[in-house]
Amino acid sequence: MDADLIKINLDATTNSDVIKALGELMKRKEYVKDSYVDAVLNREATLPTGLNIGGTCVAIPHTDPVHVNAPAIAVGLLNTPVKFHSMIAPDQELDVRVVFLLAVKDPKEQVELLTKLMALFQNVETLQKIEMANEREEIAKIMEKAIS
Amino acid sequence: MEKVNILSVCGSGTVTSSMVAGKLKEKLKEKGYIVSATEARPTEALNLAKSGRFDLITFTSPLAPGDYGIPTINAFACLTGIGEDEFLAEVLQTIKNIKK
Repeated sequence: MDADLIKINLDATTNSDVIKALGELMKRKEYVKDSYVDAVLNREATLPTGLNIGGTCVAIPHTDPVHVNAPAIAVGLLNTPVKFHSMIAPDQELDVRVVFLLAVKDPKEQVELLTKLMALFQNVETLQKIEMANEREEIAKIMEKAIS
Repeated sequence: MEKVNILSVCGSGTVTSSMVAGKLKEKLKEKGYIVSATEARPTEALNLAKSGRFDLITFTSPLAPGDYGIPTINAFACLTGIGEDEFLAEVLQTIKNIKK
C-alpha cells in the first residue's frame, strides 16, 4: 500500500473532483496512463460504483485495465460527503465519505486482492476506523493489515 | 470435489465480477465444489450463456432481457455483504438442482 496514494481532509464538491484528485496522485507516480482519469469518469457516469454498506457508503471507481500501468489503490477521505450513484440502484444517490479508486491491471491475478478488498469495505468497523483516521499512515496501516 | 462453471457478469467484466468470483471460489470450496469462473460484460453474457459451458450466471450489472437457458442470480449482496448468506444459499441450492 503506497501511502502517497492516500489523501485525507479532501475537499470536493462532486464525485468527479474526487476521482480527478485521486487519479492525479496515481498519474504522478505512473501507476496509470494519461487516459485513466477520463476513462474512470466516463465509466462512473454510465456504471456508477457507490455502495451502501449498512448505512456507511463507499465508492469504488475503476475502469478497464488498458488504462493501467501497475495495480494500485488510492484512498480519499472527504471532509464532507459527495454524491455517488449506487451501483445496485443507479437512480439512487449516496453520500460518500470514503472513496477507493482502483487501478486494476490483471483481474485474474488480482482476484485474491480484490476479494480481500471487498471484505475490507464490507467491514463497517474497519470503514469507521478509516473514517476516523487523522494521518494517512494510519489508513495505510489499516489497509495493509486488511489486504495483505 | 464437483466442478461448477460460473459466468460472473459486471459492468466492465473486470473488477466486481472478479470480486464475486473470488468470493464464490472461497465459499463453495468449503461446500465441496471447485469453481471455475469466467468474467464477462453484460453484452457478452447471452452468447456465452448459450455456449453451454456454464452452469449458472451471477451478475452485478443488469442483464439484458433474453433467454439465457441457465439460472441467473443477482450477486449484489456479495458486494455489500448484506444478505450474503442468503445469496450463497441460493447459489448452493441452484447448483444442487442442476447437478441432480
